[in-house]
Amino acid sequence: MSILRVENLKAHYVTRKHRKVTRVLAVDGVSFQINKNEIYGIAGESGCGKSTLLKAVSGLIKPPLEVVEGQVQYQFDDRDLDLLTLRGEQERREIRGVRISHIPQGSMSVLNPVRRIRKSFEDIIGAHLGIKDKREFEDMVRKHIEALGLDWNVMHSFPHQLSGGMRQRITIALATILRPDVIFADEPTTALDVVVQRGVVQLIKTIKKEQQNTLVIVTHDLAIHANLCDRLAIMYAGKIVEEADAEALFADPKHPYTEMLLDSLPIVGDRTTRESAPGAPPSLVHPPSGCRFHPRCPQAMERCKLEAPNLIEVEIGHRVACFLQEGIVDENVQEFDAR
Amino acid sequence: MFKKFFIPRMIQYFTVLFIGITLVFVIPRLLPSDPVSTQLHRMTSQGQYLDPAAVEEMRETLQELYGLKGGMLQQYFSYWKRLFTGDLGPSFTQFPTPVIALIRMSLPWTLGLLLASLSLSWMIGTVLGGIKVSFPNSPFSKATELLAMGIRPIPYYIMALVLLILFAFLFPVFPMAGGYSVGSKVGFNARFIKDLLRHSFLPILSMVVLEIGGWFLQMRNVASNLVEEDYVVYAEASGLPKSKIVFSYIMRNAIVPQITGFGLNLGFVFGGALITEMVFSYPGMGTLLYSAIIAGDYNLIMGINIFSIVGVSTAMLIIDLLYPLLDPRVRYQ
Ligand SMILES: Nc1ncnc2c1ncn2[C@@H]1O[C@H](COP(=O)(O)OP(=O)(O)OP(=O)(O)O)[C@@H](O)[C@H]1O
Ligand code: SF4
Ligand SMILES: [Mg+2]
Repeated sequence: MSILRVENLKAHYVTRKHRKVTRVLAVDGVSFQINKNEIYGIAGESGCGKSTLLKAVSGLIKPPLEVVEGQVQYQFDDRDLDLLTLRGEQERREIRGVRISHIPQGSMSVLNPVRRIRKSFEDIIGAHLGIKDKREFEDMVRKHIEALGLDWNVMHSFPHQLSGGMRQRITIALATILRPDVIFADEPTTALDVVVQRGVVQLIKTIKKEQQNTLVIVTHDLAIHANLCDRLAIMYAGKIVEEADAEALFADPKHPYTEMLLDSLPIVGDRTTRESAPGAPPSLVHPPSGCRFHPRCPQAMERCKLEAPNLIEVEIGHRVACFLQEGIVDENVQEFDAR
Repeated sequence: MFKKFFIPRMIQYFTVLFIGITLVFVIPRLLPSDPVSTQLHRMTSQGQYLDPAAVEEMRETLQELYGLKGGMLQQYFSYWKRLFTGDLGPSFTQFPTPVIALIRMSLPWTLGLLLASLSLSWMIGTVLGGIKVSFPNSPFSKATELLAMGIRPIPYYIMALVLLILFAFLFPVFPMAGGYSVGSKVGFNARFIKDLLRHSFLPILSMVVLEIGGWFLQMRNVASNLVEEDYVVYAEASGLPKSKIVFSYIMRNAIVPQITGFGLNLGFVFGGALITEMVFSYPGMGTLLYSAIIAGDYNLIMGINIFSIVGVSTAMLIIDLLYPLLDPRVRYQ
């Protein structure tokens, strides 16, 4: 059962200066589905459009970001929702924080520096449920906070008085207090040290288990993905180039870019230094023709410069956008197909 | 904790005061002209005949009076001693009126003028800036922005003169000059207050109109940067109502530099508004300083400078002490 279906989504940053229009093709034709209760990971190098994709599918679209094409459909238990046709601030407001929760990148600074933590909880609960009774509010927050293993005393602190890890936990607690159906977390563990990262991952798992919600998590840290995700999508230059069950993807990467990413991972016990993916990320204003990866691809063919490969299912649940795979599928299809 | 916050700031405050006031003492003494000779010269050049012995005697008396007797160090100590008794010495040009009396006469005028224009322009500019950021595309915001940008580059004296010509000469709604009507009795009564307001209206207006733009732009710039802050984006992402985001997230953070600016400007109030006071012949500190400079009245210049130094550094101290209340990231420690 899918809870979110995204079809051919194109989200561009459009800036106009002296009649010259610059268009950053940050998300350029992305389709995927997210299943209820799963943890879906999105990986890819810096600037490939991960944050933009999250913003677009969670409805945080404001200039210069524009959705030029595509559909974002939610199927909640009680209702279907076409996110991009929502009109007006009010309709969007009712969804945010309640049905969809978005923890933006840089969550070290998502808490208002001049407001105590308690106030931030008051703000979000007040906005959606209203606070009729102080006691009721406190009970609700206390229960949530303590279930996550946090001390009630942090409620009286200002954000700067807390450690980075604690701030991140509070942010997650805040984002989940209203039990949203879908949580989008953009780099929730970046900028934390490894031990704290582990704690935060554990916290996310705890919440997920208790609240039974769907989680979409973006990070360029593949180790976190391996540890946490059910399924994983790899993005390159505004497109998804490979998507599969996390296990399958790590065991049998099919796209040359994914292979490159996995090769750049350090392996425990291996003392040779690992190369990071060679070559520079492409411009998203003038992306390369054909397959966007072709200038860096060791297996690039003539065809790759001219045509863009589609994201096709090469094995059940394993989609890849690469002509090398298309050939394999064609052969398979020919074997099966007796025409 | 409190001690750790408070004491360094007090030490800093008194150090600044000490250095500033010492400079006020030193600088005139580095100048080649000597006030006593100037004064004597003025007397003799007026055609008075004085015999050399009398001149010498007079020189000594003047030196005594001006605090110029003895070595540098001795002068310096007696300078501080006099300061602590509130004695800034006599004015050279309006001898023997004490400088402190002259300042006491001018200061209320300046304070009234500048406090009123500063508070008015600050409040209006801040509110307009806040509206601009909350409703960036409304016609009202666009119009205020255009006005603010258009008025700001106008040189101050032109604005003042235009207002004066328009509303005092062509349409004589307001008086041309002065702080109150000649011959009216100074006192705390409705009639005098009305007269006072009428006289201060144009000077205040001229400053307010120009200063609103600055406060407006500062508020707009700070707040429009805040709109991009993660915590504002997050507040939007969690569906807080717009009014809450505007007040508790954007304005609340943008007001901090705004208040700092207000405090700093408060300190400059003691120096007077030279050009305003000259254009409108207003009897404040600016006018006083101007005449003191023209006449080379050192004691008076020094006295006014001391007031400015104390004013600015006290204002800074107060901001510093209040800052943790505005921004909890700065703590009392
Ligand atoms: N406000 C903006 N205006 C114009 N271009 C932008 C804007 N924000 C991002 N971009 C561009 O869009 C592209 C995608 O950015 P995005 O933030 O989605 O990348 P990302 O994959 O999240 O990277 P990172 O891992 O560094 O967070 C980048 O090339 C970036 O420069
Ligand atoms: S399509 Fe061509 S260039 Fe692109 S990844 Fe496959 S082989 Fe490389
Ligand atoms: Mg990002």
